[in-house]
Amino acid sequence: MGAREKLFGWKDPYDTEGTEEVFTAAMRENAAYSYAHCPEYRAVLDDQGFSPEDLRTTEDLARLPFLPTAFLKAHHLFAMPRSRMLIRASSSGTSGAGRSEIGLEPGALAAGARMVVKIASPRHILSAMPCHYVIFGYPPRGTSTAAAKTAFGYTFLAPALSRTYAMRKTEGGYVPDLNGAVRALVRLGKSPFPTRLMGFPSYTYFALKRMEERGLSVRLPAGSSVMLGGGWKQHWRERPEKGELYALIRRTLGIPEEAVMESYGAAEHPILYCDCPAHRFHVPVYSRVIIRDPWTLEPLPMGKIGLVNLLTPMIFATPVLSVLTDDLGILHPGGDCTCGKKSPWLEIIGRAGMEEIRTCAAGAEALLAGMREEGAGT
Amino acid sequence: MIFAKSRRWPSSRQDEFLSGLEAYINRIRSEKTLDRERVIRALDSLGRRIAAGEFDKRIASLAAGEKAERYKAMAARSLSRAYVEDRIRRELSAPEEENGPVRTEWQPLGTLFHIAAGNMDGLPALSAAEGLVTGNFNILKLPQADDGLTVEILSALCDEEPDIGDFVAVFDTPSSDTAAMLKMAALADGIVFWGGEEAERAVRTMAPPGVKLIEWGHRLGFAYVSGNWREDGFREELEGLAEHIAVTGQLLCSSAQVVYLNTASMEEAEDFAAYFLPLLEKASARHPASDMGEAAVRSIRARVGRLEAAVRRAEKDPDSGGVSDRVRLDGAGCSVTVCRDSLPELSPLYGSVLVKRLPERQLLPVLRRSAGKLQTAGLVCPLCDRERLTELLIRAGLNRVTRAAHMSDVFPGEAHDGEYPLRRYVRAVNVERIRPSDGRV
Repeated sequence: MGAREKLFGWKDPYDTEGTEEVFTAAMRENAAYSYAHCPEYRAVLDDQGFSPEDLRTTEDLARLPFLPTAFLKAHHLFAMPRSRMLIRASSSGTSGAGRSEIGLEPGALAAGARMVVKIASPRHILSAMPCHYVIFGYPPRGTSTAAAKTAFGYTFLAPALSRTYAMRKTEGGYVPDLNGAVRALVRLGKSPFPTRLMGFPSYTYFALKRMEERGLSVRLPAGSSVMLGGGWKQHWRERPEKGELYALIRRTLGIPEEAVMESYGAAEHPILYCDCPAHRFHVPVYSRVIIRDPWTLEPLPMGKIGLVNLLTPMIFATPVLSVLTDDLGILHPGGDCTCGKKSPWLEIIGRAGMEEIRTCAAGAEALLAGMREEGAGT
Repeated sequence: MIFAKSRRWPSSRQDEFLSGLEAYINRIRSEKTLDRERVIRALDSLGRRIAAGEFDKRIASLAAGEKAERYKAMAARSLSRAYVEDRIRRELSAPEEENGPVRTEWQPLGTLFHIAAGNMDGLPALSAAEGLVTGNFNILKLPQADDGLTVEILSALCDEEPDIGDFVAVFDTPSSDTAAMLKMAALADGIVFWGGEEAERAVRTMAPPGVKLIEWGHRLGFAYVSGNWREDGFREELEGLAEHIAVTGQLLCSSAQVVYLNTASMEEAEDFAAYFLPLLEKASARHPASDMGEAAVRSIRARVGRLEAAVRRAEKDPDSGGVSDRVRLDGAGCSVTVCRDSLPELSPLYGSVLVKRLPERQLLPVLRRSAGKLQTAGLVCPLCDRERLTELLIRAGLNRVTRAAHMSDVFPGEAHDGEYPLRRYVRAVNVERIRPSDGRV
């Protein structure tokens, strides 16, 4: 059995301390494979004088060259022929910024499935009780974003009686159909079966706000839940305090705070971060977090704010072992959480805003690219 | 957030506002016009408040130290009565003499729909202000990066002059909300947009026929160095260039992306890069990232640049004996990359400049192809060559030629990308003069 399989089969999904050795071994195994099979990845490691064999202890993980998500958006790297990848998912993002493309081979999917079961079971997400789904996100068809695929995948965690999507396709693209979502929720309030809401927190919040403005509220049956994920994106200005959102959910749907979950993840790091009952993102054994100084990119100690660098040996098809996101966050020491989980927890503070930087000059570049292909020059 | 009728409203009420917008605009435009004098007075007063430090806290959230002072001075100057009136005189000079059979005057286009860019703080508000000075009703779609600054500025303007509030409606609709964008476009007589070809294509699909498209496109700038740059006199100019690169982060259309050398020698280009790197390092050290977000963006950019150089090097087949087409010299917080080709292109930004060869006789043939996309050239050369090279750069399509240190400075009364903005927001109307002798009806 490879180190990855051992790691993803680990009994306690939050035993980061006990898995230090196996995590490093799995990273070394993955780095060696990626180095051998992905020429671009090999060039990056060679450039920084790093050999997969240098990965011996937990401390070495910070020295493993990391790839910024901005780099993965511009360069699609693969360490396997396409035929061996079962799924290719792309990150969301505006067309201008490009998207990452991440391939998943069967081994990665198997590891991912075990992870989802392990992380989801304690929060009673897996259930045999059929339920309705209201999804504040995109339907799976017609989009290859990881977010849409994940949301669709989650609708199998309990048998689906119905799926209502709050994003409606129009001629020009997807638009939120908040009124449709409100109607569905009111209707589902009369169903004997529970309802699960999932998707973007922004649209969920807007729909529930609208419900309240109209004086509507329902009592969804026990077992109903809310799973938020995907971040606030362009709506971050209207982001309420967490407590306010939970109170709104309780008032309009009758769903208690314990049944509201939030997830964190990225297409380039498809590890399921699910918040604990105290709403903290504990680091699961499949992942490690290094916070880096925004000025120097050197690792920072716990408690300091910096760029979030995520590591996982889950995928072999694409070298995403160590990915530098443009999220700013803090890693807090574990051990004192009321939920009992001992692993450190990650707090996301905001974004460095790579995608929002649009220079006039950057746009002109795109126009000139076409001319360059004609091979002009001296 | 929505800002309309001088008030802020939650974004969730967008649909409601959009469905009533046409009737609202029709009513306002039928009943009143926006008095230019009042708009100028409001702008001028706001500029004075900024200069007096009333907005220092807000400016501090955008920039620190010297950069904040520059922002403040620029805002105060460009809002001042003297500046605005000078612009109006220059850009909207009287179209016709007094006594013809018709009178001619500049009138607002009507309703402008501004799709603003987010690369410069305050730009969306500036775009709206130009629309207001020319008497238009302004629908503004905010860029994603807007953090509330635009609404703060417009709200302050409305406090100064309540009439302005009737002529502005601001939405933070994401560009992906096509239905909303279409509704806004349908109400417009002119669509003002900042962006490249992609933006233009998107705007064309949503613009009703007959609407005037006013594009402020993306441009590139560069420095042109001619003569013996090792000589003493050049040093100060090159330090000025390094300073300009560090200060602007190369984010502006007028920023230098490339340093062209008037030479065909690759060796000389490499020597220049080695000479220029320490100057750039010093300038970068003087202008560190002002906050964590900017530091993060710079660091990530630099890392991506380094990875790309590594990948490119590896892609070159070592057996072919091929020389790498790019050599990157890394400095602290900056880099200089020598390239074999001569084409204008975007640098990796934030103190990462490209060095290329462009002999004078090749200047026009190479640059002409990109003419519509080039803006500013910072010229570094002996005085005796300056006029000749300036002429040549202009003939090659450049719209601005300055000293290297001044590439991004704003000069009073200058045009924007070869055009006068205010003139694009108005139309010339003719009205036949009626004399008493023409009869009673």
